[in-house]
Amino acid sequence: MTGVVITGVGAICALGDKPPDIHRALCEARAGFGAGTVFSEQAGSYRAAEVRAFAPRDYLGPRNLRPLDRTGQLAAVAAELALADGGWTPGQREGREIGLVLGTTFCSARTIGEFDRRAMREGPEYASPLDFANTVINAAAGQVAIWHRLRGVNSTISTGGASGLHAVGYAAQLIRAGRETALIAGGAEELCFESYLGFLRAGVLCDPAEGGPAEGPRPFDVRRNGCVLGEGAGFLVLEAEEAAAARGARVIGRIAGFGAAYDSRQAMERADGANALTYAIERALATSATTEIGAVMASASGSPVLDAREATAIREALGARRRRVPVTTIKGHLGEAQGASGALQTIMMLASLQSRRLPPIGGLQQPDAHFDLDFVTGAPRPLEAACGLVTSLAREGNCCALVVAGPTG
Amino acid sequence: MDSRTRVVVTGLGTVTSIGIGREAFWRHLLEGRSGIGPVESFDTSRYQVHLGGEVKAFRAEGFVRRLDPASMGRASQLAIAAARLAVADAGIGLDAIDPVRAGVSIGTTSGEPEWIERFDDMELGGQRDRIGAEFLNRYPCHVLAANVASELGFRGVNLVIPTACAAGNYALAHALDTIRSGEADVMLAGGSDAFSRITYTGFARLGAIAPERCQPFDRRRRGMIPGEGAAVLVLEPLTRALERGARVYAELAGYGLSCDATHMTAPQGDGAVRAMQTAMRDAGLTPDRIDYVSAHGTGTTANDRVETIAVKQAFGAAAAGVPISSIKSMLGHTMGAASAIEAAACALAVWDDHIPPTINLEEADPECDLDYVPGVARAVPVESAMNNAYAFGGNNASVIFRKCRTPAP
Repeated sequence: MTGVVITGVGAICALGDKPPDIHRALCEARAGFGAGTVFSEQAGSYRAAEVRAFAPRDYLGPRNLRPLDRTGQLAAVAAELALADGGWTPGQREGREIGLVLGTTFCSARTIGEFDRRAMREGPEYASPLDFANTVINAAAGQVAIWHRLRGVNSTISTGGASGLHAVGYAAQLIRAGRETALIAGGAEELCFESYLGFLRAGVLCDPAEGGPAEGPRPFDVRRNGCVLGEGAGFLVLEAEEAAAARGARVIGRIAGFGAAYDSRQAMERADGANALTYAIERALATSATTEIGAVMASASGSPVLDAREATAIREALGARRRRVPVTTIKGHLGEAQGASGALQTIMMLASLQSRRLPPIGGLQQPDAHFDLDFVTGAPRPLEAACGLVTSLAREGNCCALVVAGPTG
Repeated sequence: MDSRTRVVVTGLGTVTSIGIGREAFWRHLLEGRSGIGPVESFDTSRYQVHLGGEVKAFRAEGFVRRLDPASMGRASQLAIAAARLAVADAGIGLDAIDPVRAGVSIGTTSGEPEWIERFDDMELGGQRDRIGAEFLNRYPCHVLAANVASELGFRGVNLVIPTACAAGNYALAHALDTIRSGEADVMLAGGSDAFSRITYTGFARLGAIAPERCQPFDRRRRGMIPGEGAAVLVLEPLTRALERGARVYAELAGYGLSCDATHMTAPQGDGAVRAMQTAMRDAGLTPDRIDYVSAHGTGTTANDRVETIAVKQAFGAAAAGVPISSIKSMLGHTMGAASAIEAAACALAVWDDHIPPTINLEEADPECDLDYVPGVARAVPVESAMNNAYAFGGNNASVIFRKCRTPAP
């Protein structure tokens, strides 16, 4: 079966736009949280890991950006960074059919909501045709394809908070099946009023009240009480091993294994009981040529139930090996960036394997003793391993796990 | 399992404006019945057009049994109904499936738009305080697959592929590769969309909605008519189907996906040609061996003209001889469900050796000069059928079904 190699990465989030810099910030325990600005006129003060002073032209040049909403712009920027990192010149992009798999929860709930509200307020004849094109949930994938001339498979994956990781896993499957030889895969999500209000009213955020003081998330901590929202985009360039070699591409890692599963919405209301993520991890390890993983990059964001379920799955799947495998998460510093999270986690796991340092978990002071895992707290942890496990769990029950190998794996 | 694993359709569930369940759907499709009528879901008095393809006879209570029908949106209800019908049609006992080996892949355009429409109504009405947890719990599109799996107890790979009006075909493509990769024994693949004010507003604003009838390929065609519905296909490996003595409608023989990467909403044709060519190559079939093409056939001036050109390019000399029809003439455009419903029609055409007609096609268009099966269904041998779907975002998807010829036991 064709090997799937990683030949480029691109990311934009509250901690920067260069994976080594983002990784360094995480290792230095710098959080991306602050007073949000993108919808403060609409909703007043809020706290988030926002991409501040986002300047898409700095990356994308003078072409007309009006057709792209914030999600589309974040995705187009991360795709540009990934393609450039992978050595794809504009000419090479024209010459090959490159595919795209984009994970997202909402695409842009802001575009959809504003389109509808304008039509309801002013009358349907005042609806914007340009915005209508962006009300579909694959709008960002379509816009990125147009921007970068990606004419191969163009798919959008929605599994909530697991979307970004699931997109990477699906892209690897497309390459293994011989459907494509080059794909960019990852996810994107914008911060917006609509999704923020949704998370707030669902009681998912750790802010004690609207506009009130906030302490920040505490993933895996006994006192964890919710997440802070983030945003951003991340993509990996995945290629069939032979195709990458043929174009002389630099290989920075590989996708070694993937598994996905699901727990019912009823099961997701409880911290204990059946756990599909255990199966997804076992499947990812079973499909991987190597099972010697040196670390876990979890998706825990500070949720009382989800963090517990994820810890249980990691503990069950790794068994006695968990003593030798430290666990970390980026969401204590970067928040819950929904569809972007899984891609950012994968890129940060890759950066950890490259730099041989695993960043600590932001906000974790007193690990929940029930979890019985080796969490990285306080300072970065030396990492001498070729492979890592990335896990993702959505509140609706979707989950997946990915084994990623670094340059020596 | 490997890339040569033969995957077959053993169950069909359809929820449409011309019939709920396979038998009623197929009978009425061959009779050329129209499901178009005055829109009842919302007030269209401020619009220039008033027709839609709503599933007015649908009652969720008969299908949504384990979950509370009131806990979800209409697209989830439609999807659950289609899934239950498909599983029953396949004769699969739910207790005979290993839950973690049973997956769900659902396509959609809008997910559960009623929940963002309600959000918008409350926001516009100065009632922001009334927006509650239901927005996050019920709106994001991935709840469609989550609700189907929660209702049926499936715990395998679970995702929504929101690639707009080609989404059903994308879900089938995902499911085919997922079974071949060995990740699942049974996949429920399909699409669902509920009638949406946002979608209706957008197409009305584009002037794309026909005022009286949907007339694909007719010289006087004046547009599409938005509709709703769902279809789910049960897919499993041929060996498994034979072992349990299942009825096999058709083999899912191959697919092709591509992206125009040129324009968000205007079809270009070249991507459609590539998708058809890739699908035929994947299925190992030359154009002269395709006996039926289910057209995207929306009834807009641009789509039907460009699609005709694309079929001619992809099929060459065989284009003049292949029957092509658009069941959107009867159902309207059911968005993300459309290609799933049309896939069910293709599987039935292959199984039953009948081709459904294009109704309302009365006056030939010089630019649309192929055999569109006008008015009346046709009884002819159908060895293989191609299902075409095109979407916002420039997404193109062609899927091929063929008669399942199995070696004698």
